[in-house]
Amino acid sequence: MRPYRPKDNLQAKAYYNDRFWVAPRIPEEPVEDPVFAADLASLQEHYPIQRAYIQRGQLVIHIDAKENKEVLRYLKEELGYDVLSELSAIDYLAQDGEFEIFYQLLSLEKAKRIRVKCRIKEHEAIESVESIFRSADWSEREMYDMFGIKVNNHPNLKRILMPDDWVGHPLRKTYPLHGDEAAQWYEVDKIFGKEYRDIIGPEQRDAAFVDPNDTCNFARIKHEVPRCADPNSEPIRIEKFNDDAPFVETFDLKKAKIVNRDR
Amino acid sequence: MAQHQVNYAASGGLPVALTTVDKLVNWGRTNSLWVLTYGLACCAIEMMASGASRYDFDRFGVIFRASPRQADVMIVAGTLTKKHAEFIRRLYDQMAEPKWVISMGSCANTGGMFNTYATVQGVDRVIPVDIYLPGCAPRPETLQYAVMLLQKQIRKRSIFQKPKPKRLV
Amino acid sequence: MQQRNRLEPYFENLVFERDDNHMVINFGPQHPSAHGQLRLILEMDGEQVAKAWPDIGYLHRGMEKMAENMIYNEFLPTTDRMDYIAATSNNYAFALAVERLLGIEDKVPRRAKVIRMILLELNRIISHLFWLATHALDVGAMSVFLYCFREREYAMDLMEDYCGARLTHSAVRIGGVPLDLPEGWLERLNWFLNILPEQIELYEGLLSENRIWRMRLENVGVIPPEMAKQWACSGIMLRGSGIPYDIRKEEPYELYDEVDFDVPVSETCDSYGRYKLYMEEMRQSIRIIRQLIPMYKETEPQLLAHVPEYISAHKEDIMTQNYSLMQHFVLVTQGMRPPVGEVYVPTESPKGELGFYIRSEGEPYPYRMKIRAPSFWHTGILQDLLPGHYLADVVTIIGSTNIVFGEIDR
Repeated sequence: MRPYRPKDNLQAKAYYNDRFWVAPRIPEEPVEDPVFAADLASLQEHYPIQRAYIQRGQLVIHIDAKENKEVLRYLKEELGYDVLSELSAIDYLAQDGEFEIFYQLLSLEKAKRIRVKCRIKEHEAIESVESIFRSADWSEREMYDMFGIKVNNHPNLKRILMPDDWVGHPLRKTYPLHGDEAAQWYEVDKIFGKEYRDIIGPEQRDAAFVDPNDTCNFARIKHEVPRCADPNSEPIRIEKFNDDAPFVETFDLKKAKIVNRDR
Repeated sequence: MAQHQVNYAASGGLPVALTTVDKLVNWGRTNSLWVLTYGLACCAIEMMASGASRYDFDRFGVIFRASPRQADVMIVAGTLTKKHAEFIRRLYDQMAEPKWVISMGSCANTGGMFNTYATVQGVDRVIPVDIYLPGCAPRPETLQYAVMLLQKQIRKRSIFQKPKPKRLV
Repeated sequence: MQQRNRLEPYFENLVFERDDNHMVINFGPQHPSAHGQLRLILEMDGEQVAKAWPDIGYLHRGMEKMAENMIYNEFLPTTDRMDYIAATSNNYAFALAVERLLGIEDKVPRRAKVIRMILLELNRIISHLFWLATHALDVGAMSVFLYCFREREYAMDLMEDYCGARLTHSAVRIGGVPLDLPEGWLERLNWFLNILPEQIELYEGLLSENRIWRMRLENVGVIPPEMAKQWACSGIMLRGSGIPYDIRKEEPYELYDEVDFDVPVSETCDSYGRYKLYMEEMRQSIRIIRQLIPMYKETEPQLLAHVPEYISAHKEDIMTQNYSLMQHFVLVTQGMRPPVGEVYVPTESPKGELGFYIRSEGEPYPYRMKIRAPSFWHTGILQDLLPGHYLADVVTIIGSTNIVFGEIDR
């Protein structure tokens, strides 16, 4: 029997786990940096903040997803975090049924980086921040494309990396790495039509694949048949190498003719 | 005005070369392979390098063309993705016969290291390929060797034979 | 003899002539000066662009999905294929992100740091030379292409001597570098650094005061500082708009705080200003490498960080020490298990701010890896930048943004 694999998370898993091993955690330091502390205090006066800590030199703020636009507007206009350098999501559907969305902000004057995080449920939508940061236009489209997270009030919310008629959202943990059926036949269906699936054949994704019935491209050890012959035909018996191979002869020094090189 | 007459017998023979039509046509075809620049990814950089100063592809009569209607050979240099597959077939259909395809690099041959949902696992699923060129990315010398192999392949073909329909894998 | 297929003529669905006299032009995805697979749908009002819709994703290979299914060391060669013009800067950005995730950034030996920096700056030179070559070719200067590729080949030879590959280097490992510099490499590097400034002057002599070059680049593609901030521009696109922000200076990593270099800034905000910056950055890279050569000679010969939990030991130890062999076996077959947490690490790649966001759940596979590629936003800005320009300027603007599709689509 094949071992059961959970379908909600198709990511590769470690094949061995130590029972007693507990993963260490990166320390979440209290906010002591003077710049970050001032910014955080200013932000806390206006908006409720769930958690705030410093991890590897960057301030991380957890907020409520409904307030994302206001918080980012405040961070940009009052505190000077004027570049939205990154925006994306993380799929926690298998564990919590939620997506985590992070906004990576940079202040060019202070040379400091803040990460704002919020969580939404699977079928919820998030408010677009495109009107504050123009760069969110493409990032939110990418987020929609890869995770299927709907973004409200976005000017042009459609797929950006995958083609428009693509099925599924690739970066979800439920999406297999090699693609579902629609993905695997995508180019054949589009160019030749579905009836050509049988002629062109399925994709060959196993690099070590050996087809025992294909004698044109593969040889079976101890069952050598002539090239492109029926795989079940009588194998060639190789007992003495030289008798079967007419072109290879044992080198006999007495028969050999020595060519005069000077000639 | 006195007409100038050449004494061919004295000057070495008639200005006529005897050859077969096959050889003549294939000589022309092999030495002016115009290439459609199909640069898709990393291999395109090596393709450009082989056209540039050190490797100098012009020695082979290989000239890069941007239009498929002027090209004989398509060098598919790089990863072909599913979104792009439609366009490569379109451009291949626009090329005039006779046409050849060189699949450059592992990604074009088999999908290479990108064994994912978005990558076509070998361009031979979409267009027929004549020369497979391994490497990631192949060096310019390798590309030049592939063109030489293609020239060899062209020389073998007779123009009177009806070309076999090229088959997809 | 053609296989039958069901592809219809393409422009059937697009409206050529509209009531308002606008024409729709399709540019790409296989256009010789689109720098890869950019498809632009341009709505033209006469000769001027009224609207531009960049369409990307023609090189999307699913790298982020791949990263989730690979152990950390396994993913490193894949980063080569992102910005394939300067592959080491990607390797380095990834290695630095993982090192910061593991918390071993300080344990990287000094010699490894110096070698990495030399390779990074060499890659910057390669990338800028390549940019100049293709940009000049697009604008119409063929000979500059040939000259630039000549010097680029010298730099490629240096990279090849070090790591064996011309294009996809994988020259950096997590925790250090795999190899010491080969014998005589520094002399060859020195020779290259000596000839390069003369050659840069040659390019500038061909281009800077050239009337055609100036007319096609000056006041074309003007990015005001506010727009650059809005679109999260970085690197030369940001400095070309008059904002002096270089991650090497502002958030120094590696040994960039020990070397002395300038950050050139252009106030003109146009393509010509950016071209000037590229030339100046090459000179600064030469200056940095010149300072690094004596630093290299003073260092100890250790190359990889000594962190047995995460990094394999030196090859000689693996062959002779029992414990090192066991550790190496576990790290290769199972992979290292970083602590739970997340990290975002920006680096200054030749194109701009290349950042890696890694979320680790304590497994050997990253839970999520987001690659912040600078070219992604530099392509997005075309939406706002192109309208108002002439069709002939589109190629100039695409060229001056220096985009590479391997990292846009990932």
